[in-house]
Amino acid sequence: MTVSFFVVLLLSVIRLSTPMFIAGLGNMYCERVGILNLGAEGMMVSGAFAAVLGSYYTGNPWIGVFCGMVGGLVAGALHALICVEFGGLHAISGLGITMLFNGVTKFLCLSIFGSTFTPNVAALQTTKILQGVPVLGKYLGALSPLVYLGGLIAVISYFVIFRTPYGLRVQMVGDDPRTVETAGINVWKMRYSGVLICGLLCGIAGAYMSLGQLDRFFEGMIAGKGMLAVIAVKMGKWEPKGILGTALLLGFFDAVQLQLQINGIIGIPPEMLQLLPYVAGIAVLSLQTGATRLAALDTQYLRNKYKF
Amino acid sequence: MKINALKLRLKDALVPLILILIAFLFSAIWISFMGKSPLEAYRALFAGAFGSTSGVVNTVKKSVPIAFASFAVIVSTKANVFNIGAEGQLAMGAFGATMAGIFLKGLPAAVHIPAAILAAALGGMAFALVPALLRVKRGINLLVVLLLMNNIARFLLQFFVLDAFASDNALVPSTDRIMESARLPYLIGPPYRLTIAVLIVLAVAIVLELFFRRSTAGYEMRAVGLSPEAARYAGIDINKYMLLGLLLSGALAGVGGGLEILGNHHRLYIDFSPGYGYDGIPIALLSGGSPLISILGSLLFGALRTGSLNMQAKVGISDEIISVIQGSLILCIAANYFVKYLLNRRRSGKAGKEAGQ
Repeated sequence: MTVSFFVVLLLSVIRLSTPMFIAGLGNMYCERVGILNLGAEGMMVSGAFAAVLGSYYTGNPWIGVFCGMVGGLVAGALHALICVEFGGLHAISGLGITMLFNGVTKFLCLSIFGSTFTPNVAALQTTKILQGVPVLGKYLGALSPLVYLGGLIAVISYFVIFRTPYGLRVQMVGDDPRTVETAGINVWKMRYSGVLICGLLCGIAGAYMSLGQLDRFFEGMIAGKGMLAVIAVKMGKWEPKGILGTALLLGFFDAVQLQLQINGIIGIPPEMLQLLPYVAGIAVLSLQTGATRLAALDTQYLRNKYKF
Repeated sequence: MKINALKLRLKDALVPLILILIAFLFSAIWISFMGKSPLEAYRALFAGAFGSTSGVVNTVKKSVPIAFASFAVIVSTKANVFNIGAEGQLAMGAFGATMAGIFLKGLPAAVHIPAAILAAALGGMAFALVPALLRVKRGINLLVVLLLMNNIARFLLQFFVLDAFASDNALVPSTDRIMESARLPYLIGPPYRLTIAVLIVLAVAIVLELFFRRSTAGYEMRAVGLSPEAARYAGIDINKYMLLGLLLSGALAGVGGGLEILGNHHRLYIDFSPGYGYDGIPIALLSGGSPLISILGSLLFGALRTGSLNMQAKVGISDEIISVIQGSLILCIAANYFVKYLLNRRRSGKAGKEAGQ
């Protein structure tokens, strides 16, 4: 157990918790405007695949990330259309988003590349600029630029939610949409914005998983990370700091199982080790106490013209 | 989590058909996006599923685990919970049946087969126990846990098939074959190989219909599903029925997976289920809570899964398009309020015109 072991573990924790963290921030907006999002997984899959497609066809990973954002946004727009406009059932819509985009990406992957994984594409696994920083450069440069982007999004989100009029409205819509409407605020516009921001951020999280951690897309690569993001939001009490903490905790379990797999220290088969983050996620969720503070979460708020 | 919203009340028989049609149209967009003709693709799909005797038999065969998955979802929604973990429970049921099939030795078939089916039910039930207890004791969001449990089931299945019970002499990674005495007898022998699993599906559907319509427990469970508040007021133990509903649901999904092994594969391998557990969800929601009607839906999905192979061979469309149809169907179900609104507007519009004349 040397210092370098802990540094490797720390870097690994940061790498693995980033997607849950970014997607979790997205879900924070979504749940705060009152829309339950079980489709985070599907939005991430969409983003991950679109990012690889973008990078594959242009050779520029940043265009890939942009495509990933669009991919997530498309999935988010679908969820918004069903839940905000059509007064649909959030849980079923989320489930449908996840299943649809798992299917669509696998279908497209098979149709375009002829297999369930894509070829290697230009990726964003390291940050070259930071390698010049004295002492820490070696470690800072070993992380994807999207990790830093995630940190930036967190800081911005904190200010947006707690310091801007928009953020205060977001908080109110999740609590009591009727009163908010009475105050002259367009509830549907607020709800749309929350779900779309969520789609965008989930797209970035997906792009990070396919271009930041790896350099390709393969079927089933998100594997429950979106669900863990949903848990991180609930456990993190819908606040950026809490979400960061929970994401790091879940990332820690993922990093530990990965290190155990690589080092093969104990004779546990790899499949059993891979269970660890999921079991940790369920344990974390079951430790949560207290009722939901968001009174309007998972409720329909219909426009008058759709009522009958 | 609002389960009340899950009671979709699709009394209008037209609505499910419209939703299915929209899902097919939406998937047609993806097919033409790949430069293929959707019409040709769907024709190949239909021909593959119903064009030959073996096609029809395969459709019926594949509908068995799907029907059990839909029973599982139906039973859970009756008890005011939504079991989207059927895929994981199905896998664990298949594992239970495989274990009973391999390690119970020297039993006559009349004992061995029921024992293996019981093991399948217990496997599925055990896997539903953890989320059920967490829901009842801790009040956690069941859907999140069930989706994670599906991921866990995949890794467990890999562990069983690749590590713990891996067979030494198999081309694809799998367990050993189950005993002859545990294999389901044929209704129609080779080359079609249709087993008595079909009869079991019908029997279970009838028993479930009777359970909900005639028994006190079934009545109380339905009461919990229809209105938890009213049920609580009437002195019904809601938590008991949630627990019971989820466990029964897990057992049904497990039996579906078990029959798949005992009847068709005779050994467990990782990809034995292409997503039967997920197929059950849209079917259950569209069937309006009736197990007998859900058999029709299962035949539809069985046909899709059978025909898609033909479509892949003839037209060159990946059979993954089934997941696209499935996903868009679920989205349509989520938005069913809007479809009903449109239908209602058309009807009231017509009525208004007639009244005006």
